[in-house]
Amino acid sequence: MTDEHRTPVSLSGLPANDPHLQPAARNPKLVERVISVCFVVGTLCLAGFGACYWIDAQPWKLGATMGGGLLFLGVGIVAWGKYLMPRGPFVEERHTLANSEADRQAFAAAIVERGGGVVQRRKLLGGLLGGGMGIFGVVALFPLLRSLGPLPKDTLQHTDWRSGSYVVDQSGRRVEVGDLAVGSIETVFPEGTENSDRGQAVDQTVLIRVSNEAFTTMKGRETWAPHGYVAYSKVCTHLGCPVGLYEQELQLLVCPCHQSMFNVTNGAVPQFGPAPRPLPQLPLYVDSSGYLRSQSDYHEAVGPGFWERK
Amino acid sequence: MTSPLFKRCAALSIVSLFALGPVLLFAGGAQASYKLTPYQSSRKNAGTPNSTMVKKNSDGVIIAYGDSSITYRAPSSALVTLGAALFQQNCASCHGTQANGVPANGTSGAYPDLVGLGPATIDFWVDSGRMPAANPRSIEANRRVPRLTHDQALAVSAWVNSLSPSFPLIPYPHLKNANVADGAALFALNCASCHTIEGDGDALALGTFSPSLRKIPSIEVAEAIRTGPANMPRFTGNLSDAQVNDIVKYVTTEIQHPNNPGGFGLGGLGPVAEGFVGLAFGVGVLALVGFWVGERDD
Amino acid sequence: MSDVINTKRSKQQALGRYGRVGKTLDELDDRLGVARGGRTFMDKIFPDHWSFMLGEIALYSFLILLVTGVFLTLYFIPSSAIVTYHGSYAPLDGQKMTQAFASTVNLSFAVRGGLLMRQMHHWACDIFVGAIVIHMARVFFTGAFRKPRELNWIVGSTLLILAIVNGFLGYSLPDDLVSGTGIRIAYSIILSIPLVGSYLAFWVFGGNFPGTTIIPRFFILHCLIVPLIIIGLVSAHLFLLVRQKHTQFPGKGRTEQNVVGSPMFPVFMAKTTGFLFIVGGITALLGAFAQVNPIWQFGPYDAARISYAVQPDWYMGFLDGALRIWPSWSFHSWGHTIPFEVLIPAVVLPGLIFNLVFVWPIIERKFTNDNAIHNLLDRPSNRPKRTAAGVTMLSFLGMLFIASSTDVLAKFFNVSLNDVLVSMRYLTVIVPILAFPITYRICHEIQALHGGGRRKTPNVVTRSEEGEYSATPSPRYVDDVPSHLEATPVPTYIHEESDESGDSGVRVVDR
Repeated sequence: MTDEHRTPVSLSGLPANDPHLQPAARNPKLVERVISVCFVVGTLCLAGFGACYWIDAQPWKLGATMGGGLLFLGVGIVAWGKYLMPRGPFVEERHTLANSEADRQAFAAAIVERGGGVVQRRKLLGGLLGGGMGIFGVVALFPLLRSLGPLPKDTLQHTDWRSGSYVVDQSGRRVEVGDLAVGSIETVFPEGTENSDRGQAVDQTVLIRVSNEAFTTMKGRETWAPHGYVAYSKVCTHLGCPVGLYEQELQLLVCPCHQSMFNVTNGAVPQFGPAPRPLPQLPLYVDSSGYLRSQSDYHEAVGPGFWERK
Repeated sequence: MTSPLFKRCAALSIVSLFALGPVLLFAGGAQASYKLTPYQSSRKNAGTPNSTMVKKNSDGVIIAYGDSSITYRAPSSALVTLGAALFQQNCASCHGTQANGVPANGTSGAYPDLVGLGPATIDFWVDSGRMPAANPRSIEANRRVPRLTHDQALAVSAWVNSLSPSFPLIPYPHLKNANVADGAALFALNCASCHTIEGDGDALALGTFSPSLRKIPSIEVAEAIRTGPANMPRFTGNLSDAQVNDIVKYVTTEIQHPNNPGGFGLGGLGPVAEGFVGLAFGVGVLALVGFWVGERDD
Repeated sequence: MSDVINTKRSKQQALGRYGRVGKTLDELDDRLGVARGGRTFMDKIFPDHWSFMLGEIALYSFLILLVTGVFLTLYFIPSSAIVTYHGSYAPLDGQKMTQAFASTVNLSFAVRGGLLMRQMHHWACDIFVGAIVIHMARVFFTGAFRKPRELNWIVGSTLLILAIVNGFLGYSLPDDLVSGTGIRIAYSIILSIPLVGSYLAFWVFGGNFPGTTIIPRFFILHCLIVPLIIIGLVSAHLFLLVRQKHTQFPGKGRTEQNVVGSPMFPVFMAKTTGFLFIVGGITALLGAFAQVNPIWQFGPYDAARISYAVQPDWYMGFLDGALRIWPSWSFHSWGHTIPFEVLIPAVVLPGLIFNLVFVWPIIERKFTNDNAIHNLLDRPSNRPKRTAAGVTMLSFLGMLFIASSTDVLAKFFNVSLNDVLVSMRYLTVIVPILAFPITYRICHEIQALHGGGRRKTPNVVTRSEEGEYSATPSPRYVDDVPSHLEATPVPTYIHEESDESGDSGVRVVDR
């Protein structure tokens, strides 16, 4: 019995008693038993996978049965190859890939003499063909690019905030002057854009109440923050993430993506991090009915930098 | 005469100059010129919500924001005596015997004045174990096992409130009618920017932290939203009671008992933990298997 | 009884010596002439060293990506159209979201095996890129990229870039809150390119961010164009490998002119098939027990929403880290802005790194003037400068990767986020600079060790009769690769008609 298992696996061309054909395992019978167990367990697992799929079991049961099945089968196959097949080592000669000098010469001659000869004799034709292909390449590029999207024009330079835009929250409710207590923050939009893609991506603004009195964040902005309502663009000047993280005792707006920190009380000048510019501030006023409205658009382009940004 | 050693030193210094230049430049632009202050409550001058969102009773006291999804109740006046004693024992050493932030031998302004902050604020700080503070000079207080029981915390807030009745009162959310989907949307817009979308909390600017929301009782969630403890902004007239109720429901159900049908939740850290698992347990284990499949050199 | 044997024998004789299989192969050979090439392929020798398995992990995880990916395309709807979700996951019920997100949630919750396939797909991707990186490190540190294999190095490096790009595209497809933020950042990075940035961004996104075209476009790129290129390049990678044959570590009987190992069939075939199953099994187990990218918890993307601590998948981490730690240097003058704070870390830096990777074989040849053909590998310690250069690059990328989780570090160690970020700025410069001399030194120390880099055998301590102790190294491990055997060729024989004596004659065919 044991002898049968010690019998080397034959590899055609080598004598059966060649030591290279010995299985690598010292105890092939044991290995064979282990592999059989692996295969049986693997098969059971995969059958279980089918059953789990049929009864729509939880994902972890599906994954466990399938993973277990594949794993056991795989381990069995590897062990078979590693322990019970001829262990070698075997050798294979490696021939240089490079050909003889004569072959190389002939190859080069075929290309240079034939091809070069044809082209050089008809230089005009070659040039014309090259020109035509080149033009086609360039021209083919333009409509491809041009049809992909509109030109930016000046859409990046301004937002939808207008003189007199009502400040509304994401549900479209107009913000009244008494809505926020000191230390509150709200994400607001110009009325009418709160549900549009562009409104959310470009016009989004954080409204923070920093005080009960009119607040000056910077020289020249004395009238921008009535009743302590300060509004900054919510689009980070670094990479455009929404700057929604407000720490009211530090008076910092922090960008959740790359941790740029903007000073709320000082015109949102970046204190730390990779953002290069302050968040643009939106000038606000309170109308006679007590609603917050914008005096005008932002005075500069919001969001990350780009070449045309003035 | 130039020795090889000298040449080497010269080359090394030039290289290190080039290398250290960017470092120094980095450092120059990097230093934050920001000073940290311990708790400085700005709630003393808190604005009074007075818009259409607010409902007041006949005495002009706010009873709700928008609707009746949350019941605001003042702590029972029967607790005032107990609260006074507890306050003198546990709080007065910093906040002073009159809760005005002036300790017996200290100066005004060193510690927060608690008068007029509203019972919800006092109850939140005491009931979450943040007060009495572990380290009164630290930037932030972490959630701890509370020193006072729930009723004792109510008593302290009852006593402080009795000095000058104020709001917000303690919010009791009615979660049965809340809409968890609306709560999820509001959470993503208003809360996730600090607490992360999984509610785990993280490190914020300058050594401050946003706490994990995984084990916070519903009343404290509502209190935090309405009062804005420490660096957290308050949410007043911009969130109606119904909306706060939705958020509280989302936090106490989906955040605290997340739906993880795909296996272990990996701590909610997201791609960092996933990358670690993928590399260590995926590539690592497979490389080990490969180590077995292949042979070792002798 | 004899009748039965006779019938069997006659049947066998009718079919020829190798039965039905032989018959089928004959038919094939008549038409395609596969016999000689097939035999050569069966005899192809694969070196057995374990480090050659790393590339196979990448290959097999790519196969898993293809299979699971096909499953996912059956249920995923690449559309930015807004729908209202009314599915089985209550916290999203009634929310407005894109069809891409809704269909991803649906395929996770309502399709049988859908969540498992999605998670396996994601894990296989993490493993794919990781295995490529490790495989590449092995190739680099052992000098396997040297002549004649420079072209395969370039093909492989391109595959790494494509894998990263396709990983990012696929990660973006569900349009959840976290991946949407990633797309937003990608848009801003394109925008930052001087002169043409805004035009490129508008062409890629079909207008201003977010637009409605980006998901369908990413879908075509992710499922068709990039995978096709990857399949083509993987084929080229393997073709070059077969054509140029494997490298091997130096060792007994191994020369520049041969390959020592196991033959393709049956040994290597068994090992590699088993390994394919194991890779599939591990991926399935990860998909079963480790939840990845739970988009239903993140919710749909909305440009005004944001979560703190959003990070890209691990292979994009170095970019995110570079963006975090790069200082706020921006050029702004003459009515134009050049956002260096984005351009350098997100465009110039990866461009430099990958170009350096591409031209490394040429650079190294410039330094060493080594134009010879190399089939034997280096031990990393024997090439201290190359090893040190590789460790420098890896440590630089590693520091950038760590810098992408400054918030996690600050939370874990309970220190200030700002301090962590400033320290990462220093460390990203200092650690690679220090890594070079330290690695160089370690390599020299290993060289100096007797038998460095090899498995040690225990010393046998003997006590002489005088009471003197002496230690002698014991013989090598008996379980090792049988080194007492010289490698033997797998002979390519063609069987000839047996003569009358019954012995089969053989004729060696020169290959």
